[in-house]
Amino acid sequence: MTITEERLDAAFAALADPTRRAIVSRLARGDATVGELAAPFDMSLPGISKHLKVLERSGLISRRRDAQFRPCHLEVEALDGALDWIGTNRRLWDERFDKLDALLAGMRRPLSPAGPRKGKERAHE
Amino acid sequence: MSEQDASDASNELRFSRVFDAPRELVFRCMIDPDHLTHFWGPAGVSAPRDRITVDARPGGVFETVMVNDADGSEYPTRAVYDEVREPELLAWTESSSGMQVTTQFVALGPDRTEVRIHQRFVPEALLAPEARAGFLTALDRFDTYLGGVR
Repeated sequence: MTITEERLDAAFAALADPTRRAIVSRLARGDATVGELAAPFDMSLPGISKHLKVLERSGLISRRRDAQFRPCHLEVEALDGALDWIGTNRRLWDERFDKLDALLAGMRRPLSPAGPRKGKERAHE
Repeated sequence: MSEQDASDASNELRFSRVFDAPRELVFRCMIDPDHLTHFWGPAGVSAPRDRITVDARPGGVFETVMVNDADGSEYPTRAVYDEVREPELLAWTESSSGMQVTTQFVALGPDRTEVRIHQRFVPEALLAPEARAGFLTALDRFDTYLGGVR
């Protein structure tokens, strides 16, 4: 696997858990401490810490070492990698279909409504 | 953008497009290298005719090389057909990624065909059933979120 693929796998694995997705959603609005992140969940601080470690290893979040409450920060670029993967696949098919549409239109023009024959070599009038 | 939706309760990406052409013809386009060469590469990318191999039957190969027009970089892809039902369905699995792609051809009329791509993609880590559920919709929401954040 390439580094990119490994990172992508790690990001998807981290996002596979609903609690971690909720944490990422929260961090998308701004940095937060472990206590702040734990508040909406029925979960102990160590429980939340485990999830944060997974997110940190995946590169999706970082934590400041120096500050007393070590606020968590969303690494938007890492999340972009995962989102890009989906966007790229969408775009690929979208652009292929644009070209296929043009190809089909080109075949139709020189043909009577008769049906599917290759007619693209025919001269235009 | 065309009508398409990446969100689904399952682990699939779905894309669809309606073409003003008979189903048989649209299907042929997807398995005939003379046609594929004209559309298989996305914008700015070519798919040379002489580097497309199509053996459209279960177990047969489907190989293409996409070449970036700007810098000549190449993206070879090798897949093996799992199912071929002319003119309604094509299914293949990409050898390197294990990604399964199913293409359905639905006749909406004599000259109107909907092509539906189902892409079961899933990096290894997502194969656990609980991991599949809803993660794409979650990502879609993040996309919206982050659009506002950036």
